[in-house]
Amino acid sequence: MVFAATKPRRVHLENARNLLWVLPVFALLAGVLVYPLASGLLLSLQRTTGSAQGEFVGLENYVEAVYGDGTFHQAVGNTVAFTVVAIVLQTGVGLLLAVLISEVRRGRLPYRMIFFAPVVLSAAAVGSVWQWMYAPYFGLFTNALAALGLTEVSSSLLASQSTALWAIMGAFVWRWAGFNTVIYLAGMQSIPKEYYEAAMIEGAGGLRRFRHITWPLLLPYTYTVVLLTTMGTLRIFDLMWIMTQGGPAHATETIATYIFTTAFRFLRIGYAQSLAFVLLALVALLTLLLTLTLRKRANQVVG
Amino acid sequence: MSRLLHRGARIQLLLHASLACLSVIWAYPVIWTLTNSLKTTGELYSAPWSLPNPPRLENIANAWMQGQLGLALLNSAYVTVVSVSLILLFAAPAAFGFARLKLPLHAVLGLAILVPLMIPSEIIMVPLFVMFRVLGLLNTREGLISLEVASGVAFASVVLTTFFRAVPRDLEDAARIDGAHSAQVLRHIILPLAGPGIAAVTVFESVFVWNDYFGPLILIQKPELFTVQLTIGNFSNFYATDQVVLFGGLAIAVVPPLVVFALLQRSFTDGLTIGASRY
Repeated sequence: MVFAATKPRRVHLENARNLLWVLPVFALLAGVLVYPLASGLLLSLQRTTGSAQGEFVGLENYVEAVYGDGTFHQAVGNTVAFTVVAIVLQTGVGLLLAVLISEVRRGRLPYRMIFFAPVVLSAAAVGSVWQWMYAPYFGLFTNALAALGLTEVSSSLLASQSTALWAIMGAFVWRWAGFNTVIYLAGMQSIPKEYYEAAMIEGAGGLRRFRHITWPLLLPYTYTVVLLTTMGTLRIFDLMWIMTQGGPAHATETIATYIFTTAFRFLRIGYAQSLAFVLLALVALLTLLLTLTLRKRANQVVG
Repeated sequence: MSRLLHRGARIQLLLHASLACLSVIWAYPVIWTLTNSLKTTGELYSAPWSLPNPPRLENIANAWMQGQLGLALLNSAYVTVVSVSLILLFAAPAAFGFARLKLPLHAVLGLAILVPLMIPSEIIMVPLFVMFRVLGLLNTREGLISLEVASGVAFASVVLTTFFRAVPRDLEDAARIDGAHSAQVLRHIILPLAGPGIAAVTVFESVFVWNDYFGPLILIQKPELFTVQLTIGNFSNFYATDQVVLFGGLAIAVVPPLVVFALLQRSFTDGLTIGASRY
């Protein structure tokens, strides 16, 4: 109580001193993040190629994006479809591998290492390797499918409009599943062994133990996996750009690849930036939605 | 009892068998790339499943020479080392300040630093490109480095702050009584004790910068400034008709990160799991 009068001033002084340590980062972010966002907002209201002074067109770019651009709508559809399937496969494969590994008593490390290894590889390397796995004649997948009598060795899954997006999904799952496995394995270590022992005494089988103990107690980790997958796939660019450049006939066009071609191939800089803000809105909306639904359920279980 | 044990052992055997199968499938794309890099074009087409016989290193040598991979590796190493050093140089003091900030500044700035994490770099690529062109930073290593630093520094600060907070306040107070000022406290008390945090940030920022494809794709057009990722991305176009050279190049791109990972695997899995939301 004696210090009550002096404390606020001391706090302010200390805050001011500590602020000095923090300022450089904010100065940097202001220059390379806030400024581009602000100038991007202006760009999105113009018709411009970026070099000369653009013509102010108000919300025309946004109206075109939302109502008039069929290719953009296809890109949004592809991105959302890819996101939904990626969520299912990433949680599914990640969890399956984690369950298998967690049941192993001795020698888990080599499995963990092998499944995690693709995470350290770049998108450019993974995309190129998988692109050639789908190549006609010598491609690994092409030969495997041909051996099963499903396709011709002269065909490629990446060349067909109906399969290209899902062929890229193969590379995506291969690259990230091991990462989710490690997250799930960390989660499984937090579940007390007594729960399983009690359930076994009650006579619950493996499947019931998974449904009533493992799955609900891992929900916070599932939330993490779903959120990270969603943030990654809504903006996905690299794998598509490397493997198909959005083709054939926009079958693998995502929002990010379409923004890139609009800006740097067709030089519609202003319009591309309005598409970028539509993407930002979509990211914000889905993140909010996920946080409200999944996280609430996850917290209920834990709390 | 013995029957129970027996059943347990059988289940373990089954588990190992299925995991071993899955591991082979998982490793196969890499194995396939490496074996292909040692084959002749004839072997590639006539015997896609078999091992190279005899294995030849000429594809790798050709890829190295023709693709200028040595230069690309050097460029990547330079950009990565400088970027990650700068990220730590900006983020460590910031985290030091953050860990000490009190309300109300703490709440306001704490929220402000989270905003960049929500904004994918794809959203600012166009204005950033325009800005870098005006500043003359296109086709420069400095431009690429500033982009990498800017997109890494916010998250590095957040992660380091949590590690710095875990350092006991008593140690710092004791040092201050002995007359140490803030910079000394940071250097001699906080940094050594927050070693795992620095290691984690170094690992995931290095992997992120080394692997980044998007940044260099936008900023770099000059071949002599290409990073490994750009070179590899272009390989498929340049060598579409000479696939064995292509696989030689891919082998050069794939092996080094895997070797580093195998040597440091624990700090890699830990660091990358902490750095998850950076991707």
